[in-house]
Amino acid sequence: MTDIKNIQHKAFLFDATRCIDCRACMISCSVENNIPMNKTRIWVAGVGLKGEYPNLDRASMVFHCMHCEEPDCLSACPVGAYSKRPDGPVLYDSDKCIGCRYCMNACPFGVPHFDYDKGLIQGAFIDKCTMCPQRIDNGQEPACVATCPTDALMFGERADLLKEAHARIQAHPDRYVDHVYGESENGGTSYLILSHVPFNELGLPNLGPTPVKDVSEAVMGVTIPFALTWGAILTGVTVGVHAYNQKKEAAGEKLVDAESQAQETK
Amino acid sequence: MKMQISINPRLRIHPNPLVVVLVTLMGIAFIVAMVRYVYGIGAISDLSYSYPWGFWISFDLFTGVAIGSGAFVMAATVYIFELKEFQPLLRPSVLTGFLGYMMVVIALLVDLGHPERIWYMMIHMNPTSVLLEIGLCVMSYLTVLAIEFAPVVFEGLKWQKFAHFIHKFIMPFVILGVVLSTLHQSSLGSLLLIQPAKLYPLWWTPILPVLFFISAVSIGLAMVIFESSVSSRYFHRGLEIHLLEKLARAIPIVLAVYLVVRFTQLTLANDLHYLLNSGLMSILFWTEILVGSVTPLILFSLKRIRQSPNGLLTGSIVLLVGMILNRFDVSWFAVRHPDPLTYIPTFMASNVHYIPSLPEISISVGIFSAGILAFGLAARYLPLFEDEEKSSTALALQAR
Repeated sequence: MTDIKNIQHKAFLFDATRCIDCRACMISCSVENNIPMNKTRIWVAGVGLKGEYPNLDRASMVFHCMHCEEPDCLSACPVGAYSKRPDGPVLYDSDKCIGCRYCMNACPFGVPHFDYDKGLIQGAFIDKCTMCPQRIDNGQEPACVATCPTDALMFGERADLLKEAHARIQAHPDRYVDHVYGESENGGTSYLILSHVPFNELGLPNLGPTPVKDVSEAVMGVTIPFALTWGAILTGVTVGVHAYNQKKEAAGEKLVDAESQAQETK
Repeated sequence: MKMQISINPRLRIHPNPLVVVLVTLMGIAFIVAMVRYVYGIGAISDLSYSYPWGFWISFDLFTGVAIGSGAFVMAATVYIFELKEFQPLLRPSVLTGFLGYMMVVIALLVDLGHPERIWYMMIHMNPTSVLLEIGLCVMSYLTVLAIEFAPVVFEGLKWQKFAHFIHKFIMPFVILGVVLSTLHQSSLGSLLLIQPAKLYPLWWTPILPVLFFISAVSIGLAMVIFESSVSSRYFHRGLEIHLLEKLARAIPIVLAVYLVVRFTQLTLANDLHYLLNSGLMSILFWTEILVGSVTPLILFSLKRIRQSPNGLLTGSIVLLVGMILNRFDVSWFAVRHPDPLTYIPTFMASNVHYIPSLPEISISVGIFSAGILAFGLAARYLPLFEDEEKSSTALALQAR
């Protein structure tokens, strides 16, 4: 395996058929990143038991930041507190954050969390998964991946993981849903998901291949030209209306003058 | 021995009961805000991971900006189209606009996690963010409104020279103000464009900004009629019914355009099937359309209604209620957040349902009361309602 430091496009692969819902990833994440007990950057969705005995089924899904290729949080943040590292991680800079929580609205996965329990002095910030840059830059896997006992979570080059995912589907077409979630969803994500139940049952939203930010960015792109044009039109209207009114007034005065002259001559 | 008791004449205040109520509400909001600043937003509100925005955004931001739209509509009418007859309606609308936007800013100072950093928008700009555009527009438009309203304050202080000075240079600011208003009234709709997966398809459309702008014009007209009607009743002054009648004629046209655009969009987007079979969402949609657009369209088409003070007031209230419902729908009721019960650990205490808490509402109520009080004080101490002939605005317009 290539050294993690040298991976060009880092990504996760999660396989729901392998997850045993042990939540060790949650513990290791909180320990690694020093997260208080009442918060978490990673959480496990449990769909609960399905089916009837003896054909019982159960699915769980590990959620953390999807590290989108084209992050919507980054597009939405008014002060540019988010950034996307070329090798994958989407990072958040608390020094710029104004606490508007627009990123929470923008993220279709509900990933960024806000400190509702902190006042002005403690400082209320957004918290989200960072892909453990402190570890991956040292050649280690992120804490959640390193801890996972069943390899349900894997880490590596995105292209390799995609190949691996498709290979697993091909090897067991009866076991998997024939789709890798995150390959194209929301413009592609650095968190790829394999599942044996429909993805929306795991709590994942149905998203198209274009990122949700596209329309809003297109509108923002035409804003300044529109403002300039609109300003020019309004200026034109103002000048035009004023000239027209003055002309009308002058004509009216002439009429009055003519009338008064006519009266005088009488 | 005879006791001599002298009572010093004390300062006696006989407050108006309405003022007492308003000041009390403001006091409550202030205390609640202090609790929020010490213990966090969660201590006073029901906002959660799944509902990051709630009552404050829907009421103070969306409604506050909407009811401020009378200012740019009247400024455009009087200054740009030179319909000077409407000039007696200008000052109260500019003041309402100013107060509406102040309400937005003060509410944001409570709602933002870091209110002390609100100015970061001016140094760290992310050009793709709609919220940045709104923030910058609101900041600059508030300045423009202050400039537009300054002559009234100067006249109140009897500093006629300053008032005339500002009037000389008012036109560029008026045009800037109309451009800024167009931008952020529509951008308020663009704010929701980033939620195609969350906002119900009856509301989410790429032309949300267009719809927001058209409805803002109708709200502006209705707001001018509403505030003239109410202040003529409360301050016992004459009602410029002939002006309001003319203004009201424009409303059916604007609303007709709005309805045509909205239903054309739904047809083109193939969303018509949502109109009847989406339960609560269908009900909200039809309530909003019938109350906010159809009913006022019919009412203001009738000359009898337009010429009666009660008809004007009723029509404008119906329109405002319906259109404010639209703002609530778009920013709150029709937004489907992911259901966190399926995947957020219970210890994170995130709510599936969002019901604004009482302290949360009290903040908005307090800020709104401050706005009403400020309007009342201005009406009492400033030449807010000018005579049609001798005001400096009229003089300035004639001098141009």
